[in-house]
Amino acid sequence: MIRRYQNTIFLTLLLALASVFSVADAQNAPEASEEGKRVYEKSCAHCHGTEGRGDGSAAENLLPRPRDFTRGLYKIRSTETGQVPTDQDLFDIITEGMPGTSMPGWDTSLSANERWEVVAYIKTFYDGFKENTAPRQIDLSGKIAYAEQSIETGKALYTELGCVECHGNVGRGDGTSAPTLTDEWGFQTWPANLAQGWTFRGGSETEDIFKRFIGGIAGSPMPAFEGDSFLHFGLTSEESKRLTELENKDEMTEAEDEESAAFYEKMDAAVDIALRITEGETLNAADRQSFNNAMKVVYEKSWHLANYVKSLSPEKRPEPAIGNNALRSQYIGGELPTLGDAAWETLKASYFPLVGQVILEPRQFNPTIDSVNVKSFYNDNEVAFLFTWDDRTHTTASEDEETGKMLEDAVAIQFPVKVPQGPTAPKPYFLWGGRLPVYLWYWKASAPEQVTELTAKGISNAEVQAVQSDLQAEGTYTDGQYNLWVKRALKTDDKKDLQLEPEVFVPIAFSAWDGANGDVEAKRVISSWYTFVLEPVPSSRRFIYPPLVALLSVGALFGLRGFARRRNS
Amino acid sequence: MKTYMLACLALLLACCYVMPTLADHHEAGEMEMLQFPESYKAMAVSNGGTISGTVTFEGDVPEMKVLEITKDEAVCGLTEKHDESLVVGEGNALKNTIVYLIDISQGKALDKKTKPEIDQKGCKFTPHVQIVPVGVRLTMLNNDRVNHNVHIFSSVNKPVNKQQTKNRKKMQLAGVKKAEGPVQMKCDIHGWMSAWLAYVPHPYFAVTDEMGKFTLEDVPPGTYQLGYWHEACGTNSKEPATVTVEAGGTVTQDFTLSMKKM
Repeated sequence: MIRRYQNTIFLTLLLALASVFSVADAQNAPEASEEGKRVYEKSCAHCHGTEGRGDGSAAENLLPRPRDFTRGLYKIRSTETGQVPTDQDLFDIITEGMPGTSMPGWDTSLSANERWEVVAYIKTFYDGFKENTAPRQIDLSGKIAYAEQSIETGKALYTELGCVECHGNVGRGDGTSAPTLTDEWGFQTWPANLAQGWTFRGGSETEDIFKRFIGGIAGSPMPAFEGDSFLHFGLTSEESKRLTELENKDEMTEAEDEESAAFYEKMDAAVDIALRITEGETLNAADRQSFNNAMKVVYEKSWHLANYVKSLSPEKRPEPAIGNNALRSQYIGGELPTLGDAAWETLKASYFPLVGQVILEPRQFNPTIDSVNVKSFYNDNEVAFLFTWDDRTHTTASEDEETGKMLEDAVAIQFPVKVPQGPTAPKPYFLWGGRLPVYLWYWKASAPEQVTELTAKGISNAEVQAVQSDLQAEGTYTDGQYNLWVKRALKTDDKKDLQLEPEVFVPIAFSAWDGANGDVEAKRVISSWYTFVLEPVPSSRRFIYPPLVALLSVGALFGLRGFARRRNS
Repeated sequence: MKTYMLACLALLLACCYVMPTLADHHEAGEMEMLQFPESYKAMAVSNGGTISGTVTFEGDVPEMKVLEITKDEAVCGLTEKHDESLVVGEGNALKNTIVYLIDISQGKALDKKTKPEIDQKGCKFTPHVQIVPVGVRLTMLNNDRVNHNVHIFSSVNKPVNKQQTKNRKKMQLAGVKKAEGPVQMKCDIHGWMSAWLAYVPHPYFAVTDEMGKFTLEDVPPGTYQLGYWHEACGTNSKEPATVTVEAGGTVTQDFTLSMKKM
């Protein structure tokens, strides 16, 4: 038993030791060795290339591309802009991997020792590590607590700094600049969807977000927050308020004129010091002090913004729609709610994660749609669903430059034609059926009020049903999010349709296409089978039996008391 | 055994064929860059000469591509914008060509007082090609009242990516340490915006104007290699022109460029 834990204990100790050292000295990897080269070539070179250029044999299929180590541009760092990462930064990325990319965590497949050897080895690809052995780390000591007021302040900065250009109004990565972004190497890149913190490459804690602001994300379009990107850099917040006041005046008195001129002088001086630091000058104590004062305001603002960004995501990635989180359609007495009805707000959505389809050609290795969230109501005759998913772009028709195919955003909701009898009965193949057919609702962005029924016996073997049921649909796109409302009768006359009844567990699965990401035909994101159920109709018996039981119990108690009294007397 | 040896031979031949092509490819990349002297010494130049000339374009002049304005139309879309990678004027004059001395090791001092600017006006960088002496700050202007970000794709110096919000009319960028060029400048927010910089270690650099004209003044008498770089037409780094400058004299060197082969 102890043996089993020995490795864990050893690792923990080593990590603890490592963290102790990282406080003392950021650069704690061993000297580059043959061992590091061996591990690198065995585990890393397939993607990152033997010479670290990010051009390994697998690189072509990956987006984002594997890091090119030769230019020293590392996205995820605890160091200031323009600085190399610390050894610990590199070690952490190797250990934990990068969410939303092909970089896995190596904590289980490489020993801590091997990972440190790799850190030392990849540093040999870039000379900057030799020139800068003590990179300046970002000071996290001024952290501002996560609170309402701070989030509000951060929200205003989100607009002021222009975050909205790429990340969009509410942060879903749908800004108007999003479709044209490229990285340092000219490959397309998408801004983070700030409502999905679990996809952040460098973690979603407030500190992680703050470090991305101050350090920037090297090699990507995300700029670092350098002092003079902020309004009135060099002024305290009171001074800045005063200057705004002065600037808004139609006419200034001579005294006010002088006052504002002094502010401008102060700001120019702050910018000059910041530039001198970048240019490599060593500052005297007075300049250092005034620079630190100016940066204090920048850091405060960045903490507020980090709190705001943090507030855009759920605490953690939602649990997938199984067990307690499974999709349960709720019974409602009268008319089913339409799109935009407040009744939908009363339900908790079930979360269906989606992944790139990589089984058949053409494959999608770089999916952009994370998941679809679903809610449902039903009444005696009909069922209504609300499907919600994030897509950074609204694409209704766009020609693919390579293939000439028309690309467009779409979704397909998949059910079996016949509900399997019992949990062990076979379901159709999850990828649009096979021997057993599937019944599909297909919706596309160019016809938002129409859902087409399909029958499919395979991904390339789908046909539009000759008889289309009276399905109602309405789809909208706002701020990087689709909402699709669909309503159908529980029962139809078509044998090719799924027939629904309460309390029967029905398999359900999804396909979705992001036209702007090249999704078309088999190239899409998919889910495996999940199940949903029309919750039992709440019975009116609940108003009869529980009170009856209560009444009987009370009666019995009185009886018992009477009996006891008689016996005692 | 025979098959095995044949396979080896084939592999060897393939290597012989592939290796030089790879090398060539690599070299082509280097050839795109400006060439700088290993060291440069500033000195007083009296009675220097002048090199001037005209750069013209040869071949069918393609129609300038109209840029697609995908956002901030109210500001960026006021006038039609064109891809400025090839600007050919009257008499086939080629604008935006950098013409420079490749192998000059001493001459007049670099002007550190100069204040190079690039304006972001109507979501376009002006000028399209700018010379920035090493150590001199570049000033970015923003009169657009929209957000821009100045992204400079340096590899010798540190890359720059700095947000210039709509409130910030004037923003300075730190002077760089090392000579480097050409380096592209882009705005990620407006993906069509593009310009080119050259961070230069000596003052003998010029950019051709609308008439395709350039002038290099106060050149110490001597024989030099004269190079050019143009975004769409490439460089003459492999076969630079040779010019001999006489004291107080003027020497003319014209160039005729055509589209770089893809």
